[in-house]
Amino acid sequence: MNRRTPLSTLALLAIVLLLFSACAAPAPSAAPATTGDQPQPAVSGAADTLVIAISEDTASLDPGRAFETLPSIIHKATYQTLVTFPPDSVESVIPSLASSWEISDDGLVYTFTLDENARFSDGAPVTAEDVVFSFNRMKNITGNPSFLASGIAAVEAPDASTVVLTLSKPDPSILAKLVFGAFSVVNKAVVTAQGGTDAEDAATTDTAESWLNANSAGSGPYLLEKWDPGVETVLVRNDNYWGEPAKIARVIFRNIPEAATQKLQLEAGDIDIAMDLASDQVPSLEGNPNVTIYQGLSDTLVFLKGNYNPEIGGAFSNPKVMEAVRYALDYEGLRLLGGGETVNPASMLPVGFLGAFPANSGVQRDVEKAKALLEEAGYGGGLDATLAYPDFTFAGVNFGTFAQKVQADLNEAGFNVTLAPAEVQVALQNYRQGLEPFGLWLWLPDYRDSLDYIEFLPDGVVGTRTGWVEATADADILALRDALAVETDDAVREGMFGEMQTYLIEKGPYAPLIQPGLQIGLRSNVSGFVYNPQWRVDVSLISK
Amino acid sequence: MPIYRYILRRLALLIPLLIGVTLLAFIISNAVPADPVTANLGQKAMSDPKIVAAFRAEWGLDRPPAEQYLVYLQNLLSGDLGRSIKSRRAVAEDLASYLPATIELATTAILFGVTVGVALGLLSALRRNTWIDHTARVISLFGVSTPVFWLALVALYIFYARLGWVAGPGRLDAGMTPPPHVTGLYTVDSLLAGDWRTFSNAASHLILPALVLASYTTGLITRVTRSSMLEVLGMDFIRTARAKGLADNKIVVRHALRNALIPLITVIGFSYGNLLAGTVLTEAIFAWPGIGQYAYRASTSLDFPAIMGVSLLIALIFILINLIVDVLYFVVDPRLRAT
Repeated sequence: MNRRTPLSTLALLAIVLLLFSACAAPAPSAAPATTGDQPQPAVSGAADTLVIAISEDTASLDPGRAFETLPSIIHKATYQTLVTFPPDSVESVIPSLASSWEISDDGLVYTFTLDENARFSDGAPVTAEDVVFSFNRMKNITGNPSFLASGIAAVEAPDASTVVLTLSKPDPSILAKLVFGAFSVVNKAVVTAQGGTDAEDAATTDTAESWLNANSAGSGPYLLEKWDPGVETVLVRNDNYWGEPAKIARVIFRNIPEAATQKLQLEAGDIDIAMDLASDQVPSLEGNPNVTIYQGLSDTLVFLKGNYNPEIGGAFSNPKVMEAVRYALDYEGLRLLGGGETVNPASMLPVGFLGAFPANSGVQRDVEKAKALLEEAGYGGGLDATLAYPDFTFAGVNFGTFAQKVQADLNEAGFNVTLAPAEVQVALQNYRQGLEPFGLWLWLPDYRDSLDYIEFLPDGVVGTRTGWVEATADADILALRDALAVETDDAVREGMFGEMQTYLIEKGPYAPLIQPGLQIGLRSNVSGFVYNPQWRVDVSLISK
Repeated sequence: MPIYRYILRRLALLIPLLIGVTLLAFIISNAVPADPVTANLGQKAMSDPKIVAAFRAEWGLDRPPAEQYLVYLQNLLSGDLGRSIKSRRAVAEDLASYLPATIELATTAILFGVTVGVALGLLSALRRNTWIDHTARVISLFGVSTPVFWLALVALYIFYARLGWVAGPGRLDAGMTPPPHVTGLYTVDSLLAGDWRTFSNAASHLILPALVLASYTTGLITRVTRSSMLEVLGMDFIRTARAKGLADNKIVVRHALRNALIPLITVIGFSYGNLLAGTVLTEAIFAWPGIGQYAYRASTSLDFPAIMGVSLLIALIFILINLIVDVLYFVVDPRLRAT
């Protein structure tokens, strides 16, 4: 009998521990109490607080330095720019801090008149001096976004309500660039007091960043209350806002890196908006009465690139080979693989941009034609190829999966593709140096104007990486590129972008694959959500 | 050798070891055929020579690697870990804000792993080949072989989304103010502040990720305890003790367990180190703002100062845990004290 005592005690102890571990949780849980099978929402249940789950990518909240997604949402809420886009589109530019503007006949001088009612959150009027300070500071910090200001020769303030912007050459995209959060107008007096400067050497002398990471100095409908890196960013309503006040008093952006976790939280009601859902999560949410899904189109362009430098590209420097690639691809299959609202852009200009051809109207699959083209190029016996790509998932696009699909499609047409995935940074380095003969990549617009896509033309950012340079390019495409860079009449531009796309479909070193859809999950009681490609969501329009 | 001299000698070895770690981390980071420029600048910015030059100058990347390393060491000796390229904050500040979250998670996990693992291991050793042993084997096998990523998602789905027994991802509910900073462990700090509401919220957020993280360790400790106990129980001195008519519980606790402790201490120390350094997946699923996620971001963005800082910290943790383990050997095994 004695033998049993320690054992039964131990067994009991283990059972108690296991039970404790299973039951300890509900006891201290102050938050979700169960009623029925859906837990009650916690903080997000409060009508004056909005909780948004997002994979935080913030490196800085200083408008002069930030370039990522979450900062663009935060800046839209806390700052304002001279001009802006309508809530749901990027097709026209409308007044914001500037009530009107004039453009000189030569397209070089933009004169903005500031709205006299505009006030910073501390009550001070927004003056031309603040605009000059903000623009010069951003430019001179020489950070990630400062290339946006590279075409600006001078910003001047002849009087308190007039800003004169002089360009070094006409830039049809300048107004679209000015919408970018980097051109947010900051309160000069406040930022200067925190160590900010717009001097030429601001890159080394400006010390306002840490303050701007914890506070905002703008004129937008919200104030930055705190940024706890990796945890959450909190905004509170600006009670001094000079426009229509925001409907929700407090907005919390929770850093939830995993899409699967965002979905669970949305279902549980702990968050109001899940920004980063994947297309394959949508079907299981569709029957849920508490959730609505916004499905739209991202402006990411996923494409294949050859290399027109024969020393690097080999067979892929032959335009016929690239044409064969375009005919070999199963576009419908690629679209299905993308899921959701994914489309096939017709050329290297995503759907939604001025002049873009309609979705799915580009090259259609023709394996026989692809084979014939390969033969014409001298590879009738088959072509060995190595497809380089970054081994990652971006915006729900798993590059490995797409590379396999490309491999299968091309092999049907006489290619023999070997996949060469690499760690993102390693692949990016080869891509940037133009060392890849054949690669799978993506492009995100830097600003919302079709002009950003002339980077795919000779000597552009992507053109250079595909060995497509002025010295060897056709005179036609060079002339078109130079004309596009300065043309300001939208009707004319539309036609020219059409020509650009046609040229790329016929002779370019690229094959456009997909433009992925995007999925944002909302609790059903959230209203006023509008998606905009520039700032994604304007939280000041949301109520619940 | 007196134990304090042993400890001092081990601590003196710390400095060359840590310098070695920085050198290794630096060489590996620089050997990667990639450039921090591509990792931290946008597509347009990385094509703009002026911005690239400013970026290299800001982070000292325009100097030769040897000089970069010497500058780093020099700063390190004055206690400066540098500034992270990605977060743009002092690395020391970053580590101080992310480490406590991981310590809280890993410590809760190891406490659970040790209590349950040792109990289950003892039971199955003493009740070999009974249903208790078989059940324990299944539990530990499950713990050791289940991918933590999958387990985390399933646990979150069942206990958070469906049953609502625990709070969701993160350390506190959205918008909740953390307790006043003392240790950085929210459960401890909220108790110190006497704030029960924050404590219960923090505990409710902590329990699920900690249990998920503990699954592997619990399984491992169960197996090690069992095999180590079985080995000891088969030894002659146990038979002698039994023959002497010593009570069973005395044999188990005083003689067998004590001798079985040595391999167990090694495993526990090693597991704790691994828990502290290897929480990346659990942290990602549970949106736990710990050192794992920070290290992951640092390595994918070639954030050299942060990579060096994390490497140093993890090396330091392992060295200290090893030291504690060795000191515990002295305590448990009198033979070591004699040598």
